[in-house]
Amino acid sequence: MTVETSTAAMIKASEVNKFFGDLHVLKDINFEVPRGQVVVVLGPSGSGKSTLCRAINRLEPVNSGVIHVDGKELPKEGKALAALRADVGMVFQSFNLFAHKTIVDNVMLAPLKVRKQKKPEARESAMQLLERVGIADQSEKYPAQLSGGQQQRAAIARALAMRPKVMMFDEPTSALDPEMVQEVLDVMTNLAKEGMTMFVVTHEMGFARRAAHRVMFMADGEIVEDTTPDDFFTNPKSDRAKDFLSKILTH
Amino acid sequence: MRIGRVLRTSAVVAAASLALAACGDDGGNGGEAGGEEGGVAEKSCEGGGDASVTIGTKFDQPGLGQKTPEGMDGFDIAVACYIAKQIHGDDVNVEWKEAPSAERENLLERGDVDMVVATYTINDERKQKIDFAGPYLLAHQDLLVRADYEEIKSEEDLKDASLKLCSVTGSTSAQNVKDDFAPNADLVEYGGYSECMTGLQNEAVDAVTTDNSILAGFASAEQYKDKFKLMNFNLSDEPYGVGIKKGETELRDQINAAIEKMVADGDWQKFFDTHLGPSGFKADTPTITEK
Amino acid sequence: MVDDLAFLFDKYNVVAAFWVTVQLAVLSAIGSLIWGTALAAMRVSPVPIMRGFAAVYINAVRNTPLTVILVGSSLGLWQTLGVTLAGERATEVNFRLAILGLVAYTSCFVCESLRSGINTVHVGQAEAARALGLNFGQVLGRIVLPQAFRSVIGPLASVLIALTKNTTIAAAISVAEAAALMKTMVENEAHLLFLVTVIFAFGFVFLTLPTGLILGWVSKKVAVKR
Repeated sequence: MTVETSTAAMIKASEVNKFFGDLHVLKDINFEVPRGQVVVVLGPSGSGKSTLCRAINRLEPVNSGVIHVDGKELPKEGKALAALRADVGMVFQSFNLFAHKTIVDNVMLAPLKVRKQKKPEARESAMQLLERVGIADQSEKYPAQLSGGQQQRAAIARALAMRPKVMMFDEPTSALDPEMVQEVLDVMTNLAKEGMTMFVVTHEMGFARRAAHRVMFMADGEIVEDTTPDDFFTNPKSDRAKDFLSKILTH
Repeated sequence: MRIGRVLRTSAVVAAASLALAACGDDGGNGGEAGGEEGGVAEKSCEGGGDASVTIGTKFDQPGLGQKTPEGMDGFDIAVACYIAKQIHGDDVNVEWKEAPSAERENLLERGDVDMVVATYTINDERKQKIDFAGPYLLAHQDLLVRADYEEIKSEEDLKDASLKLCSVTGSTSAQNVKDDFAPNADLVEYGGYSECMTGLQNEAVDAVTTDNSILAGFASAEQYKDKFKLMNFNLSDEPYGVGIKKGETELRDQINAAIEKMVADGDWQKFFDTHLGPSGFKADTPTITEK
Repeated sequence: MVDDLAFLFDKYNVVAAFWVTVQLAVLSAIGSLIWGTALAAMRVSPVPIMRGFAAVYINAVRNTPLTVILVGSSLGLWQTLGVTLAGERATEVNFRLAILGLVAYTSCFVCESLRSGINTVHVGQAEAARALGLNFGQVLGRIVLPQAFRSVIGPLASVLIALTKNTTIAAAISVAEAAALMKTMVENEAHLLFLVTVIFAFGFVFLTLPTGLILGWVSKKVAVKR
């Protein structure tokens, strides 16, 4: 099965359109993300990049167009959709750890309930993941007792526990205090090095330069540039990209 | 048939619920009862005179004391009216006040009413607080069954455990069933006799039990005519008296004299036949005991 | 006063009557929590027909007086349609019908409390759960409802206290609970009316006060920290 699907792109979007009322937030989006690639999506606020990220596991349904994940068309709803989501890890801006469960329970929940793993097994791999993101000592605490950076690392561990084929990051550091940003980016950088397919919506230019294979620049619901990080940062072609970079880099 | 049943039951559910809701009302606000223009005989005792008397009675007891759109109606009302006229003259102005069972003593003690004529059984506990005149009717606890019902023939049959009896929650009649003559029976206690009557019609219960006068009142109602019969068992003695404030011996003597005259005139029998007779209920004329 | 009290407690089995009240209240509470939760699940479900059913059910039942529901159950379901809920004696039938009626009624209030609790759960909680591949039932049962319950224990305590007091209406359909005994005592001991009233008022406070206190404590204990 892996042999069969390995030739297909991990994510493929064709002619995707999305409206919020009259607002056209995604305009004829087309792209492919090959297996193992780390894509960073940049763009000003309101450019549609978060919506695109959420559309890929159908947290936002699209109005037209087709999205494929690992060669399979995104199911409309029901069991098939749930099964697909289980294979797509998602990390949110606001962490969204389950407030009534301890950190280790957060990580174990989906492996137990969706993957039907045995409890000892799920617990062991949960602890390994927490170790890997550096918060094994916080495993019995509740989310509210952790710092933002720790919570986001726990959220990444929770997504990884499902052994996803691809990881989506929706502005994972935007809600963090500046001193906590790096610890989360470090985890993400390591993940990239290990070969994980990643789709990262962010404002962290450093991460884009360092860890990304590819940058997609979005503005007004369109993908305006799609190139390598070096090329994008040193030689932006569109006016909107130049404008965006000048504002970011003068900061 | 089934639809008819459902409709009938719905009507009783609505009525029973409203009646329960009304229990929450201040029982004393019915004073102007019967003030409307009406065609019943009792209307004449709410007429224009100076002398006025306040009488507590039931407002919801068919055949005995019932408030209707046309005015007050029933045997108790007729008796009370007669007594009031005997004492205060024909143009006496009677003000009717609702006297729920639990409040009868209090109404008298507080002086809210001058007398209570409301299916008021004379007994010793009550006589500790108030006095009685009369009795004006000797009722007995009895059973009302469907006209074609043959399962019960004698009081002995009441020992049968499969018998389904219906009465009103907490009433003396219900207690008598449990403590006395049918301890094994399957007793259903509802908030009012209307609910028991639908149960009887729908064959969910075998018999309704309470004072024969009350049962006769229900069975005499237009919609139940010929559908039910009284068993004529004397399961208890329920002498109905006129309640008055303790120590008012003069009033008691006046009332007793009025009752005796009512019986002698034949008016008592007339009232009885009008209000309770249609059910086939028979009662002897009363003998005054409260002297 | 003390003599009268002793007399009343000697002559009437007040404790047994309150025990029936407790049984009615506890069984109805369990039923209401289950059915109320199911209604809440229907109200937030993605299936339009379920949402519609729950909305119609709640608006119909919640706006019907409880007396009508209970008397209707006994007169309508049992007497007219012959529904006995496997009870043999009339008293059994009415006890079960009373629980059915109380559950049908109280579950509306449980559902609406829960729904307001569901609204306090951040939408991101459900999104995160869905993104992990949990299905609708798991999202609701594992993530949303546990948090919703924790935030509405206070309002639920009020619902349960109201339920306890509402059990008195079962006296209207022949359930021998506290209010039925109170009617008997008032009938027989009208001269002790005030004392009888005090006994039953105190009895209900005795039942409901701890409910409120314990659930208040639980509510603080399990509150979800955000």
